[in-house]
Amino acid sequence: MATTSLITDAPDDRPSNIESTALLAGEGRTAAGTGLKRFMWLLAALSVIGFVGIVFRFINDDGRQDWGFYAATLAWMLTIFGGAPMVAIAPALAKADWVRPVARIASLGAIATAIIALLMIPLLFKFPALTQFSEVLGDDVRRRSIWFDSPSYAPHFWNVLILLTLALVGMAMAYVMAIPDFAAIRDHGTGWKQRWGKKLARGFYGRAQQWEWLKMRIGITGALYFAMLLYTNFTFSLDFAVSLVPGWKDSLFPFYHTITTFQAGIAFTIIGVWAARRWGGMNKYVGHEQMWSLGKFMLATTLLWFYFFYSSFIVFWYGRSDSDSATIKLLVSGPYIYLFWTVFFLVFLIPWWIMIWNKVRDSVWGPPIAAFIILFGLFLDRIRIYVASWSAVPDDLELATTSILQDMPNTMWPDVFDVFIMVGLPALGLLSILLVTRLVPLVSLWEIQQSRLITKPVRFLRSHVQLVGKPD
Amino acid sequence: MVTETAAQRVSSHKWGMVVDVDRCTGCQACVMACQAENNIPLSTEDIYRQKRTFAWIRVERYWYGDFPDVKARFIPIMCQHCENAPCEPVCPVFATYHNTEGMNVQIYNRCVGTRYCANGCPYNVRFFNYWEPVWPVSLRNQLNPDVTVRSRGIMEKCSFCVQRIRRGVREAARDGHDLHDGDIGTACTDACPTDALVFGDYNDKNSRVSIMAKDDRKYTHLDALNTDPNVLYLAQVDATGGAHGGHD
Amino acid sequence: MQQRRILDEFTVNHELLRGNLATPKWWLPTVLGLLVVVLFGFTLMGIMFNRGLGVTGLSRPVYWGLFITTFVFWVGISHAGIMISAILRLTQAEWRRPVTRAAELLTVFSLLTALFFPLIHAGRPWRIFYWITPYDFARGIFPNARSPLVWDPFAIGTYLTGSTLFLYVALLPDLGVLRDRTTGWKRSFYTVASLGWRGNPRQWRLQTVAGILLSALMLPIFVSVHSIVSWDFAVTPAVEGWHSTVFAPYFVVGAVHSGVSAVVTMMALMRWLWGWDNYIRPEHFDALARLLIVVACAWLALTFAELIFGVYSLEAPERALREMQMFEWPWNLLFIIFFLTGFAIPVPLWFFKRVRNNIAMMFWTSILVNIGMWLERFLIIVPGLSRKQPFVFTWDSYQVSPLEWGLLLWSFAWVMMLMLLFSKFFPLIPLFETKESQVFTTDVQIGRVTMPAVIRELD
Repeated sequence: MATTSLITDAPDDRPSNIESTALLAGEGRTAAGTGLKRFMWLLAALSVIGFVGIVFRFINDDGRQDWGFYAATLAWMLTIFGGAPMVAIAPALAKADWVRPVARIASLGAIATAIIALLMIPLLFKFPALTQFSEVLGDDVRRRSIWFDSPSYAPHFWNVLILLTLALVGMAMAYVMAIPDFAAIRDHGTGWKQRWGKKLARGFYGRAQQWEWLKMRIGITGALYFAMLLYTNFTFSLDFAVSLVPGWKDSLFPFYHTITTFQAGIAFTIIGVWAARRWGGMNKYVGHEQMWSLGKFMLATTLLWFYFFYSSFIVFWYGRSDSDSATIKLLVSGPYIYLFWTVFFLVFLIPWWIMIWNKVRDSVWGPPIAAFIILFGLFLDRIRIYVASWSAVPDDLELATTSILQDMPNTMWPDVFDVFIMVGLPALGLLSILLVTRLVPLVSLWEIQQSRLITKPVRFLRSHVQLVGKPD
Repeated sequence: MVTETAAQRVSSHKWGMVVDVDRCTGCQACVMACQAENNIPLSTEDIYRQKRTFAWIRVERYWYGDFPDVKARFIPIMCQHCENAPCEPVCPVFATYHNTEGMNVQIYNRCVGTRYCANGCPYNVRFFNYWEPVWPVSLRNQLNPDVTVRSRGIMEKCSFCVQRIRRGVREAARDGHDLHDGDIGTACTDACPTDALVFGDYNDKNSRVSIMAKDDRKYTHLDALNTDPNVLYLAQVDATGGAHGGHD
Repeated sequence: MQQRRILDEFTVNHELLRGNLATPKWWLPTVLGLLVVVLFGFTLMGIMFNRGLGVTGLSRPVYWGLFITTFVFWVGISHAGIMISAILRLTQAEWRRPVTRAAELLTVFSLLTALFFPLIHAGRPWRIFYWITPYDFARGIFPNARSPLVWDPFAIGTYLTGSTLFLYVALLPDLGVLRDRTTGWKRSFYTVASLGWRGNPRQWRLQTVAGILLSALMLPIFVSVHSIVSWDFAVTPAVEGWHSTVFAPYFVVGAVHSGVSAVVTMMALMRWLWGWDNYIRPEHFDALARLLIVVACAWLALTFAELIFGVYSLEAPERALREMQMFEWPWNLLFIIFFLTGFAIPVPLWFFKRVRNNIAMMFWTSILVNIGMWLERFLIIVPGLSRKQPFVFTWDSYQVSPLEWGLLLWSFAWVMMLMLLFSKFFPLIPLFETKESQVFTTDVQIGRVTMPAVIRELD
């Protein structure tokens, strides 16, 4: 063993603490440019159009099948915004250092989940109760669901409650992860930001004990969020899709839903990073290292999409019973066959082909392209699942008495109000996140500064690497 | 006399069976006949205790009704020769497959004995030779020379007495006439005293099975599994006029 | 905080080659004892070939029993290798270093063991060739590609080939070290085996790239092998409790749970038997236990989904099966034991740092997990077969015969014997990985604290 270490110092061109504080928390922090303001007004207008769509949807609808696109939009929003905070927690649990700069962008997705919980309420008016027709059919005939003998409106109640809890836990996690930044804003900001920073920082001054308390809170809310996300995906996907289709018995489906949630969350974070670099001035803080690591996980979850889809497909295919064949026909080979194949290409084949090349994955432009394609593809996937489910058996009486889907529904196309809804509701979610970023820095300042303490660029023999301290 | 090619001859039939549950008395003559015809290994007391009995056709008995009006229903179950058989896609060596005459056939030579097909069969009509079959001296002359004696490690099941079908087809060709309904009978259908088991060709519109298949009482077992069996059952008729099927 | 051990090359070579350059006293008696059990097992197989499968407890309708359970169990254990060496390598986790080779080894040997079971439990094993070989010989037909049983040998064979290659590539530098330190026939053996390893930069680069490529290529196999094994069951609609879409990820996650626990068992044994306290440290057990908590919780979610969907369909046969499986004797006892040992006892214990860092506790909890996971496979396979469909005249139970227990014991002895034989000729802890981590690690001072720091590649 050589007596001198092979690790030597290298020039460190990372932004200093002063510079990062000034950019993210201090007076020099840029106000919203006109471009961003115009974009936010556009989102607000689209949100209003979305609400118009909801109102008109109530006024003229022919039954449950017309609400499929609404359900699909909510599902897509849950997938993206619900999945994003996972990117903040999961690598942190694994003590990965590269995720620190993107944790803020990821955790902000939780803001929009509260909106989803509220937006679910109009949908619940059209969602069938468990024992809608017991007077007609006698004795408690109820449609098949995961709630078995619970009260008739149990799914309505529990879905809202679970989603609200998810939102609250997510926002709590995002808040706790932002407390040191609020303190920095209180100390270096001006005007309304300084006042808000003081309120939200709640006396955080960076004492050792306060840091310990903070770490524990982050750990608890993070673990709780993971559990809640799994649970939310379970009940949402089973109630709003699987149990609405007679004969669809698919134990894998909640997990399929969860995996695509992770995939979408990573895609959302990648797009957020791209936007932060392009318009938020965060070039020195988030770069191709984050893209590369996030890209790897997005490639893995893309492959897992195929794996989870195929796992349920093969079991139905070999089963060949009436219910198995009906399920395949409804979701894959029947009225939505073209949509399915589009989804197959957009969610799996094309992003996979893009992301397997090292040069593309290890760049700042490659992963965002794949991420956009994936998010659009997942939107179509949610439409495939939820529109098909909501149109499976249009009449609630039939739903209560049918055990196998006999007649395939026709392909449903969105009408103009559905388009309003599909454009407006996600715009509202995005708007809520952008509003929050007016106060909260896009990249978490304290994570940057902490990682600056623990890591440093060094040279190992002739290559440049990073030295990462292991405090625990 | 029209000389048919082998391909034409074999693919113009669709063999099937109709079982009239109302007529079955549970006498088990079909079970005995099948055992004798097909060289089925003996189900001795030891084999019974090992839970490995053979019965290519078995008669299940279900009680229904309350005392003192308790009644029994006897249902003979044999291989249903499903068009959509769950046992066929899973055999790794193609030892079981569906032939062009609508039968699910078992090729003893190919069988490796993985028993996957037996797991796939929802009717439990497949049997595995756990031991080398042993015949007491007195029964060795009773073995049917038309039927293979299976060694250990091989799956077997009801074959619709394919040896009798082949013999019937050959004899009809030899004698220069077409096959008539009733020319070919399986061992169980020939033995049944009440005519509860009827064998025939579904492709022959005038055969008994084709006519019986149109009966209102017709049902198939486990139809939720969509196996599309070629064995149809006619439900038992209650004294009150209702029809009972299956095993409720 | 981790304590960094500073070890020079001489110490590393001396300690890690302890098993190879000199034989520990306990080695020979243990191997001989295991050999007795192994030969006994082969005798049992001979009896089975000679007399037929009637010597087992298999019956009708329970055509698959302990052998298939053990087969799935060993395939499950084999997932440890990929999880630890491939995934942890690709994510650059430092704590994998002492255990990668042992994990890969466990993979290779458990796959070899697993392969025995479907072959010996076929009715006519001398005809297996027609099943697993994709060639039409004189029969004019190929194997049935629609059958999951035909995918199994391909999947497992690919996994075995890949793992063996991976193991070998990672062995090369250490084979060079052994070649330079031995004489006589051993030297000739190592000279051939090390393929001319000189340790120059070109060879190191090739070796590293090969390792990374194999890791990445093995990842899809990691997911697909146990999924294919699970589809042996899931594609059969006739058996209640088998026709469930969740089987593929359920089996894979269960396999990781079982496999990583087996690695913990193995690591504890390695530390105790060879005295490798410097290399296998409590922090490794801590990291593995935290990984196990995540995997076990995912496994719990999947088990819950499988059981819930068993009753979701409200179909009488499946509900009857679930009731039998969970509430009727003797299944209820097995079910309780399975749940306690597989999850309810180990996982809450692992939440405590004191337990995670206590090697004896980790050893015993990991053994509990594997008992539970074996029982899990048993509970999936056998109850469903014994109560198939509503034809009550064919319901029956399954008595495991002594011969089957004997072969289960054989499988454990076989794996342990192979591992011990390997350890005599090749070092169980990679020397070059240990030395690499010494070079990659240094101390940094941050404020008042001195902590170890590790290099991480940037691209």
